[in-house]
Amino acid sequence: MMRHPHLSDDRLIDVCLDRAPAAIERQHLERCHACEERRASLARLLADASNVARAEADAVFSPERLSRQHARILQRVEQEARLGRIISFPAGHGQGPSLLRVRPGMRWIASAAAAGLVIGLVAGHLVHDLPAGGALPASQAVGTPAGASLQAVATTMSEEEFLGRIEVAIEGTSGSALRPLHELTPLVWEIAAQ
Amino acid sequence: MSRTTPRRATSPAAAGSPAPSAPLSKDSALAAELKALVVAGKRDAARERFADLVTLQQRRAVRIAYQYLRDVHDADEAVQDAFVKVFTHIASYREELPFEVWFTRILVNGCLDLRKARSRRLRWVLPATTAAETVSREPVAPQPGPEDQLLASERGRQIAAAVSQLPERQRAVFTLCQIAGQSAHEVSQALGLSEATVRVHLFRAIRKLRGLLER
Repeated sequence: MMRHPHLSDDRLIDVCLDRAPAAIERQHLERCHACEERRASLARLLADASNVARAEADAVFSPERLSRQHARILQRVEQEARLGRIISFPAGHGQGPSLLRVRPGMRWIASAAAAGLVIGLVAGHLVHDLPAGGALPASQAVGTPAGASLQAVATTMSEEEFLGRIEVAIEGTSGSALRPLHELTPLVWEIAAQ
Repeated sequence: MSRTTPRRATSPAAAGSPAPSAPLSKDSALAAELKALVVAGKRDAARERFADLVTLQQRRAVRIAYQYLRDVHDADEAVQDAFVKVFTHIASYREELPFEVWFTRILVNGCLDLRKARSRRLRWVLPATTAAETVSREPVAPQPGPEDQLLASERGRQIAAAVSQLPERQRAVFTLCQIAGQSAHEVSQALGLSEATVRVHLFRAIRKLRGLLER
């Protein structure tokens, strides 16, 4: 009878991973201690690796932690359900697409808002183009009426200086017509001296 | 420790496309019932059934997520998100597929997203503590079982270190096959890989583990 060769590593792994050996391989494993020992060692390694991995996870995920996790999952599912719940619209208002229907009150509000916007824009434009306040540039102030210039002088000169200038003006040739009037009028310093 | 769900047959016909007369697993039957309730608009009743579904899959889910993320808070978040997504999208669940496969796919995608987000975050933040310090271990059963003893042993530490050294894809396949107890066909559906590719990664992972542990 021909002897079956030793089983390869891959074939042994296959056997360990629930793939049943062929009849001839099974017979070889029963007779060959070396192959059977290799198979047993491999099977032990796989079992130990599985057990270690499970024990690691079970050590950190205690029953209390699993219980908390279970409750948290159900709580999250409950929250998701609450967030996703659709509230049905009242039947009386379901005549058509609500976004396309316009109420009369809304129309007035929209018109008022548009008018306010236009007025605001026009007013802003005017205020921006006109000069601010009543102050005129110096070139325009030169040709102003006498009242305006007298008012300006009065604010910058004392009363005596102002009257003195009037006196000088009267004494000039251009003021001869005013001389009788001047003689009737008492002088400021004469009154002050009295 | 026994697996949370029985391992399915490895043949594609049995695992991925069950015959119409084949009995559904308990979680798949619950998921189908949940979907019917949601479609019928009975969301309150659906939430009650969903609690049972969470109980069935939760332990397995945290083991997978913890293997992927190696952080208790991230794993917790990934598992919560996956279950909430299941409930939100239960109407798109296809009853002809095992629920476990559908759920694993959602969970793994969530874990990968979290890992990407974490790596982006860590790029700008200096690590304050080592990974071992960040794991907040809660009190476990006072009598340690054989798995806890194995974890505490030198061999347990060596195995854990070796698994963590596996390349990402190999570790993912190894985790789903050996820890979550899924067949190669189910893992191929969950990860979007061909079954042959899954087997190649699994073989490489086992060879590498053996090499690391025999050094």
